Amino acid sequence: MKTTLKKIFPVIFVTVIVFMAVALLSWTNSITKDKIEFQEEQQIQSMLGEMFPDMSRYAFEDDIYTIYSDEAQLGYAFLALGKGYGGSINILVGLENETTIKGISIISQSETPGLGARIGGSSFVGEFTGLSIDDVALKQDGGQIDAITGATISSGAVVDAVKATAVERVKSLQEKE
Amino acid sequence: MKTTSFWKEFTKGIVISNPLFVLVLGLCPALAVSTSVDNALGMSIGVTFVLLGSNIIISAIRKIIPNMVRIPIFIVIIATFVTIVNLVFHAYVPSLYESLGIYLPLIVVNCIILGRAEAFASKNPLLHSIADALGISIGFMLALLIISFLRETLGTGSLSIFGARLFTLPILGEHPMAIFVLPPGAFLLMGLLLALLRRLGVIKSE
Repeated sequence: MKTTLKKIFPVIFVTVIVFMAVALLSWTNSITKDKIEFQEEQQIQSMLGEMFPDMSRYAFEDDIYTIYSDEAQLGYAFLALGKGYGGSINILVGLENETTIKGISIISQSETPGLGARIGGSSFVGEFTGLSIDDVALKQDGGQIDAITGATISSGAVVDAVKATAVERVKSLQEKE
Repeated sequence: MKTTSFWKEFTKGIVISNPLFVLVLGLCPALAVSTSVDNALGMSIGVTFVLLGSNIIISAIRKIIPNMVRIPIFIVIIATFVTIVNLVFHAYVPSLYESLGIYLPLIVVNCIILGRAEAFASKNPLLHSIADALGISIGFMLALLIISFLRETLGTGSLSIFGARLFTLPILGEHPMAIFVLPPGAFLLMGLLLALLRRLGVIKSE
């Protein structure tokens, strides 16, 4: 009896510690959750402002941000989620109209610093500006985007996410009309 | 007796077993984030919190941790504190969270923290473990501040803390030695600093 207890004690101990850790973390999460969401919204708002300098307000409905200036509709924006080398890549994509990309920004990513992380750099992100959605593909696949040397997976992840989500969102925009 | 050894454990981490300059532990996150003084401060605060938290918990339960599962237990405890730091930074200092990036969650695998847990906190009483954590953290912070100060001033020609520009150097301001903010500059500077500290006798070679 004593020896079985001795054998299973480490298991019980680890379980207890893990449960305590989970409890502590979910408590921290509940405190910080709203604040983090607020920060992310602020970030998206400032990115939208950079993408559409004339923006005065925006509306968010069915996963699509519709951007307005004082008098006209400027375009749309939406979030895309790519599967990168080091985890998910959050991308904000702006559309000028239903066929042309206005620009993209990387909201968050965890790619390898110095390699995949360069998807956040202006030279890569800038390649999307003004492209037609049909041309969003790596050059090796017949598109217009140059992959970053040594970071084909990260580059491809951004391209795939932008293209797939753009096609989907444009479809839902057209259905609404 | 007790206060003297408390003091001894505390000061030991700052000079004679400075984590970066003497033990040369945790170089990856240290060199990666030391591009600016702001980042270095943020990283040090994160490391201090995690090290203090993990040392306290591990020291408190050191007598009941089954030996064969001690490393997983240490990692779970350390990872919990790192995640807390991650969430808190994300919520309250988003700009710092952005610039520390992947290196903030990587505190989990920082060998300073696991090293102190295994070599010190799991064998010593609570008070000494707190002193050890504080000493090592301050040593880490000082070393990181020295490196980041040199890298920022040499590499950008100016120094700013919390967004406020403190000074701009006359010639370097226009022609900064950008290599110092790049990764090779970090290794170069670290090597030069270690050599200098050895020459001055601050670090004793065995």
